[in-house]
Amino acid sequence: MPHVALRPRAALLLAAAGAALAGTIAVAQQPGGLFTRAQVAAGRSAYAEQCAACHQSDLAGATDAPALTGASFNAVWGKRAVAALYSKIHASMPYGRGGSLDDATYDAIVAYILYANGAPAGDTPLDRRTTTRLGAVASGKPPADAFADPAAPATAATGAPAGSTASQEAQIGGAKEAAPANGPGGAAAPATSAGFAAPGQKVKYADPGRFVLPSKPGLSLKGAIAGYRPVTDAMLRDPPPGDWLMFRRNYQGWSYSPLAQIDTGNVARLQLKWMWSMPENGTMEDTPLVHDGIMYMWGVGNVIQALDARDGELLWENRLGPFPTSAGPGPSSVETRAMGLWGTNLYVNTPEGWVYALDARSGEEVWKTHITDEKPGVGRSTGGLIIIKGKVIVGMTNCGRKGTPDHCYISAYDAATGKRDWTFTTVALTGQPGGDSWGDLPDDERKGSETWIAGTYDPALDTTYWGTAQGKPWRRDERGSATGATDYANSTLALDPGTGKLRWWFNHAPGETFDLDEVFERVLVDHGERKSLFTIGKAGILWQLDRRDGKFLGATETVFQNVFTRIDPVTGRPSYRDDVVKQQSDQWLASCPGPEGGHNWQAMSYHQPSDALVIPLSQSCVLMLGNGSQVYYEMPGTSGNLGRLSAYRARDRAPLWTVQQRAPFLTSVVSTAGNLAFVGDFDRVFRAIDVRTGETLWKTRLGTTVQGFPVSFAVDGKQYVAVTTALGGGSPQLKPGTMLTEVHRPITGYAVYVFGLPEER
Amino acid sequence: MRWTLAGLLLTAILAAPLQAADYQADLGPMPLDDETKAVIAGRGEAEARLDGARLTVSGRFRGLPSRATAAHLLIGPAIGVPGSKALALSVSGDTDGTIAGRYRLSKAQVAALRTGRLYVQIDSEQAPPGYSWGPKGTLWGWLLPAHARATPGVPQRGAWFLPQLDTPWR
Repeated sequence: MPHVALRPRAALLLAAAGAALAGTIAVAQQPGGLFTRAQVAAGRSAYAEQCAACHQSDLAGATDAPALTGASFNAVWGKRAVAALYSKIHASMPYGRGGSLDDATYDAIVAYILYANGAPAGDTPLDRRTTTRLGAVASGKPPADAFADPAAPATAATGAPAGSTASQEAQIGGAKEAAPANGPGGAAAPATSAGFAAPGQKVKYADPGRFVLPSKPGLSLKGAIAGYRPVTDAMLRDPPPGDWLMFRRNYQGWSYSPLAQIDTGNVARLQLKWMWSMPENGTMEDTPLVHDGIMYMWGVGNVIQALDARDGELLWENRLGPFPTSAGPGPSSVETRAMGLWGTNLYVNTPEGWVYALDARSGEEVWKTHITDEKPGVGRSTGGLIIIKGKVIVGMTNCGRKGTPDHCYISAYDAATGKRDWTFTTVALTGQPGGDSWGDLPDDERKGSETWIAGTYDPALDTTYWGTAQGKPWRRDERGSATGATDYANSTLALDPGTGKLRWWFNHAPGETFDLDEVFERVLVDHGERKSLFTIGKAGILWQLDRRDGKFLGATETVFQNVFTRIDPVTGRPSYRDDVVKQQSDQWLASCPGPEGGHNWQAMSYHQPSDALVIPLSQSCVLMLGNGSQVYYEMPGTSGNLGRLSAYRARDRAPLWTVQQRAPFLTSVVSTAGNLAFVGDFDRVFRAIDVRTGETLWKTRLGTTVQGFPVSFAVDGKQYVAVTTALGGGSPQLKPGTMLTEVHRPITGYAVYVFGLPEER
Repeated sequence: MRWTLAGLLLTAILAAPLQAADYQADLGPMPLDDETKAVIAGRGEAEARLDGARLTVSGRFRGLPSRATAAHLLIGPAIGVPGSKALALSVSGDTDGTIAGRYRLSKAQVAALRTGRLYVQIDSEQAPPGYSWGPKGTLWGWLLPAHARATPGVPQRGAWFLPQLDTPWR
């Protein structure tokens, strides 16, 4: 994997080395070109440094980052002026830091993008106000060297690739850090604490010597936790009340704690017990795990820490790496949402696709394996894992480009050895059930269906349930699947955890086309003999299935949506709006909800005592032109309240209460036997709500956005609530980040906070 | 007797669109991104009363980044989907101000209002400069059946207003 992480820093070294690149990679230059070849060279480096982590090194795009070349890019931008492209990039890029680069760097990045789309270089520098249409200068055919790696010359010139193990070891051994780009020998003035440029300063963000303390990978503090009680299958099936052993505490995905010491009567007295700062510069959507008073945390850079859950004392730390290579919030591809405990091990699924077993007592590595055996460009993973009967089961993102035989799969590993046991490919291939649902697309063209949220499990039915994302490209007209359902994308999958065999699937959004994932939590609830599975996707439709056979039981719309005109009451199959069916890439299409969702990864909680599903919701829409331009607006009828928290009775999905507010909720919900629901939001507020009424009973304001999966646990007979603050991620951060202009958040402040009741006198 | 009942029912159905009805719109920023958010901003409310085919609209706006220049009623293909201009509203004020209009609607316009496809749009001087694509304007809001507006942070009990469920679809 280090491929992605290495390049930016290597590019930085190249920039410091001057014009070497221009001499290494020849660029065609024509008198009539809109930019110079020197700009292309500089832009190539700047792109690698600032853009490639999201838009990919070949400009093909991924997740929330649209393609910057190819048919979809040309369909969107071909008729628009170069000035419009410059303005768009200048205002909004790099992610979360629009306008933060110097103008010459923006010029160079635009020049490189034009070049990569077939526009020739010329004698005059780019005029960023030119009204020349992209389509008039860019042929759409990338030149042979369009995606050449700018790192290669730099590596040759400077020795070990920057960011490589060799380089890190050199640093650790006392070798001098690479020179910052804007000053020889690292003598330049430091950037501000937020990573932005000081007045008059030109900052190259990908300078690790500037914003990241040189960090030695590996076990930085070895632990010696005595008397550790191994986690058994029985404990996973019926977790001890004070523990939080997995993603949403129990196999059924309830995010519910049976602890009741903190309740509606005393929650107003809740106070901070301790907090612990976490690594910055990336994305964190963390679930703290707690076992017998030990808290396990995942941090940016795959820094794994064990803390004493009573007071926040560090017990061990293993820095798995790789470390961040650019400052500020990260994209939605560099986090993991759930670790797992089994036996004496802690299991970690890194976003780079590694699965680690660490000794939960010492932090030492027991084994590690990669979900695609390190196949280049394939196999990242952000959803975390679930452990079932000695198997570690993980999902996958980044599952290969069109025309390759790679596909997404769910895979299982022997928890004792790391040996891969089975895989299940999440797109239906020719000859398989649902294999005829991709139109005429050959198997190598069937992409997407990522699993970026870990599944749940029913021990009685011995079935694990996973959600999948949509087919890719997510625009139907670009995907080429016509009106096909694209199974098993945007579906609920029911798998045998012992073999990976498919028991059944239910497609929630056949032929999805708006980036409206149905990948999120699968919550398992019983009412007498009825065994239900609840899930809700970005469209905001709460689905209820019979989890024995996948039969549709019902659906309830929780927010405004205008994507579907009807949901068949018998089959659950939705019908798309007419203009959606007839979509064309060069036409604007409106979608409510937009890619922020309706609902997103912030999971619901099932409060068992009141049979209530408490669901974080968002209320924004999008107007999109192909997969290249998006503009956002508030949902009709919401008075500008982007945030919504709603409770439904699980038995019949009857609405119980709803609360709206300006800021969307950026955490999952944890409910407790004390009749409380805890949730945090974009504007730094963490609150406790009476789960029966929706009334806020306690709230506090934390360092930055409250983001992650809060948990509740007990140590020494005392109940606590833990929650993380963090930045980074996709649409749930991006859309409100643009729309809520009145909200100001520090760009730092990643931490875990632990709250409890005052000590009794 | 059966014919009498059928006649009464038919009369009731035909009369239904002629009854008075109240509508309201939350006015919020039109579609924006990081490039245009500085010039697309503000908030407002509008109310409308349909009496037979006669529509009366009034509203307020505030916090526009530049002076309001024009306002219209537009008809889209669905709630939340932009469409085309249908009727002009009068505008008074500057960055804060009011809108108003009285019309006799066509049957198609009445149907658009009943089904939530009629919306208010206010344009302003500077929004959006150099924004040569997508719908132009500053504030917009769909006229939806009158309903209780949510107060931030205050719970609503039971079933609450959702436009697609509480607006006739034809």
